[in-house]
Formats: sequence, C-alpha cells, structure tokens
Amino acid sequence: MRPFIEIEDLEYAYPLEGGDQIVALRGVNLTIERGEFVALIGPNGSGKSTLAKHLNALLLPTAGRVCIDGLQTSDPGNVGTIRQKVGMVFQNPDNQIVATTVEEDVAFGPENMGIPPEEIRRRVDSALVAVGLSAYRQHPPQMLSGGQKQLVAIAGALATRPSCIVFDEPTSMLDPVGRRQVLNTIRWLNTAEGITILLITHSMSEAAIAQRVLVMEAGRLVMDGAPALVFGQGTRLRALGLDLPPIVDIAQRLRTWGLSLPQTVLTVQDMVDALC
Amino acid sequence: MLIQVENLTHIYSQGTPFEHVALREVNLEIAAGERVGILGPTGSGKSTLVQLLAGLFKPTSGRVLLEGESIHGKEATARRLRLQVGLAFQYPEDQIFEQTVFREIAFGLRNLNLRRTEIEARVNWALEMVGLNPAAVAQRMPFALSGGERRRVALASILAMHPRVLILDEPTAGQDSQGRRALLENVGRWQRETGMTLIIVSHALEDLAVLVERVIALKEGRVVADGPARQVLSDAPLLLDIGLDVPEPVALLQALRQAGKNVRVDCFLPAEAAAEIARAWGLQEIVS
Repeated sequence: MRPFIEIEDLEYAYPLEGGDQIVALRGVNLTIERGEFVALIGPNGSGKSTLAKHLNALLLPTAGRVCIDGLQTSDPGNVGTIRQKVGMVFQNPDNQIVATTVEEDVAFGPENMGIPPEEIRRRVDSALVAVGLSAYRQHPPQMLSGGQKQLVAIAGALATRPSCIVFDEPTSMLDPVGRRQVLNTIRWLNTAEGITILLITHSMSEAAIAQRVLVMEAGRLVMDGAPALVFGQGTRLRALGLDLPPIVDIAQRLRTWGLSLPQTVLTVQDMVDALC
Repeated sequence: MLIQVENLTHIYSQGTPFEHVALREVNLEIAAGERVGILGPTGSGKSTLVQLLAGLFKPTSGRVLLEGESIHGKEATARRLRLQVGLAFQYPEDQIFEQTVFREIAFGLRNLNLRRTEIEARVNWALEMVGLNPAAVAQRMPFALSGGERRRVALASILAMHPRVLILDEPTAGQDSQGRRALLENVGRWQRETGMTLIIVSHALEDLAVLVERVIALKEGRVVADGPARQVLSDAPLLLDIGLDVPEPVALLQALRQAGKNVRVDCFLPAEAAAEIARAWGLQEIVS
C-alpha cells in the first residue's frame, strides 16, 4: 500500500507585491504512513504551517508534488476528497467557531458535505462523545473554556470522518488543564481510532509524546526520527534556537557529570527508573 | 505602598442566569519596583484582576488604590492614574492598527500634549528598549514585520508612555523558545533600567521563575498563595490543587525525594535540577 502522505521535492513561494516572492519551503521530501503520530517542530518562520497547509490543499505546491492517499493535491478534482481525508485544527479556538450551539458547530462540516441529516446526527453524537463534550451539546460555544472550545474544533474535524488530522499549535493558547484535555484527546484519536496525527508545536514536552519528530529550519526538513534520536542531538537543536524537553536536558547535563543514562530517557518516570 | 487592593470583588452579568463571580474579596499590596507574577488557571480571575488594576472598568465592590488614590474614583484623577499603568493583553500585536511603526508607537503619546521632538525621542527610546533599530523599522508597515517583531512594537507603544506599572498578560504565548528567551531578557532589562513595577500573568512557570521575586496564586477568584517565587512555584500540592502543571524538573525532584533520596525540590530550570541531582549523587563534573 502507498504511504498515506507522500511529499516529493516540494517547494512553495509566497508571492509578494511587485513580483517578488518569499520561498517558504524548499526541497521537502517526506512520507507518513497510516496511523503514525508525528510531531513537527522548528523556530517561527521555518515553514511548519506552510507545510501543514499543503496537506489538505489549502496551499498548492509551486514545484514538486503532494499526494494524500494516492491523490495529488494539485488536481482540482481531488480537493473535495482530500479535505474529507485530512482535517485541520488551528491555534486559536475563537477563530474556528461558526455556530451558536456546540452541536451546530460540530455539524457544520458534514452539512457542507451534503450528508443526510440522520447520518449527521449520528456523527455529531459520536464526535461529542469522543471528546467528552456530550453534556455541552446545547451550550453556546463562547461560554466554554479555551480547552473546551478546542475540543469542539476537534469534534468538528472528527465529524467529517478524516483519516488524518493536522493540529497547528492546538495548545499554545490554553492553560495546563486545557492542554492536558486536548493532548489526551489527540493521543486517544491516534491509539484508539487509528487516526494519523501531525502535531505542530513549540513545546518540546508535547513533541516527545509522538512516535516520530520532524524538525524544520528555513523551509527545509533537517531532522526526522524517533524522539530519543532527535532530542539526542542537543547541540544541533540548540543551534536552531530550539530547547530540549526539560528531562532530556537534565539527562544530558548529568551525562557530562559522568552519569551513564540510556538515550531513551524522555519522561520523569524514565528518569526515576534510571536513577533509582 | 504603590498599589493597594482592598476587598475587591467582581461579578459579571450580576442578576442574570450567566452571573459569574470572577473575584471574591481580594486584598493585596504591591510595592514600587516589585516584580510580581500572577498564577492561576483559566477562570481563576487573573485577567479580571489585572484589568481592574489598570482601571479598565469598575469593580462590583472594593477599591484599587495607586499611591493612596482610587483608580476608579473621580474621572480627572482616575485618568491621570490610569496613564501610569500600562497593560499588554495576550497577543498585543493583534491590536496594532497604524500605517507605520512610528505612528503606532506615537499614537498614545499624542494625547499627552508632548512636543514633537519629545515624541520622537520617546519612540526611538522605546524601539531601542525592545531591541529594534529605530532607523530600520520606524517607517515600515507593521504588517510587513514578523509576528515576534510586531509583538515588540506593541510592547514598545506601551513602554513609550513611561508607565510606573507594567502589566503583561501571557507575554510569551505562541513564541518559539528563542523568541521567549529574548522577550524575557528584554522585560528583565526594562525593569532594571527603569525601576518600574512589573506584574506578569502567566501559567508558564519557567517564565515566572526567571523574572519575578514574588508569586500570587489565584483559584476561583481568591488568593490561595502569596509568597517568594521559589517557594510558591515549587509547591507541588498547591499547583496541582489549582489545576496547574508542576514544572518537570520539580516533578522529577519530588519523585526522587519520594524514592528516599535527599534532594531539594525548588529547582525549576534543567541546569539547577541537574546540579542538585549531581550533588545528591556525589558526582564530579567532567570538564570536556
């Protein structure tokens, strides 16, 4: 079977007034298999969001190609199907709310796809159960907390039954409680529902929960591997202006004090097991 | 005392089904030049408290005094007092509206009856304070700048007003780690150079650990802790009770202590925590 996401020699340039352009992506090659949980990190302006917007044809390549489940995004006939396969959740929950009650908001996507009302009902119900918001179905979304609004946005994406959801910094405007709700839901979508996840984040601790970490710099993909492998290259990450997850940072410092710790130490529990 | 908050209570939509008590009988004092962090989850009343400190609206009951005068009192006095408090909301760059960086920063200054040369001097000073080169950016369109640069312009427009109290609501939200570090260093420097009083609202405990000396924690509109930053930020039971995450280095040291190791727990930064573990394990640093 072909990989779910295939990106070949992708280049993208934003046009500017007066004929100039800013090259945002250069020579990106990447494949992601069905069911993977991938984190994407990199400094501001490195091209993370531009790359994400290519995955459901919000942007089309200037050169190279992007295929989703075998369908090329630059073919206009494929765009509808691709957007059904790849859902997006953005940073600011307030910008993603369109309706006056939670359930109407979640129904917005399937309604636009021309799905029959009984089927919409079923999908909205199961999406709200999935994110744990069934009790809030009749609430006005603006009365919810930031974390709950973000869960409404996730339910909205789920109601279109996507194979993959791209999360563009979904937690950066949330408090720790909201962040935990959203991250637990993302993890559950991946493990229980088999949904392919691409999580863009500035938090290294969040990236460490993925199976695979991609690092971008100046429009290029510069690192790709398991979290332990990527975070093992502390010097290189620091040179890109990125931090290490705190526990990985502590582990590396302790190694310079002569302590031998496995490279796989990523969490508090890993470290306690290694030390005690 | 510079700021006195007395029995401050604020209720939104009072008398309706949506009635919500945001602050309950809050009392606190902040001295001139103090660096204070305000900590609490969404809905704890942090934003209501700082907006009342800035005099943006009137509280349901209680008072906010700036050097003994009520910031919600007679209009002429209140207006003079409010000019001494600069408040930057979350994502302050979203509020930029002028055509050039210069006009954006000069906007508030035009209401102060300043001479043109004084306005120019303040704009240049403020740009330098946020690490932007006045000659390079003053005539540029704010929308042609990066998100991080726009945030610095928004902060410069507040600094240009020479506030005695600077309040920042989640100043590092949405910034990458380089942007965060630069912003925190800048804020620390402004505070040292001007001696202003700094109030930072954040749930990023690591940011507070670097910048402030005192932390006030809120839960459901009440002050539940007020003390030295190190003490409050490493109080794991308190943090969990108010719904915040314990910083990972503190969580690690707590777990080691529970496993019977004799370690301090008030280390928020990875470097401090590593040094503490090295000490407890009797390690010698290998100089490479």
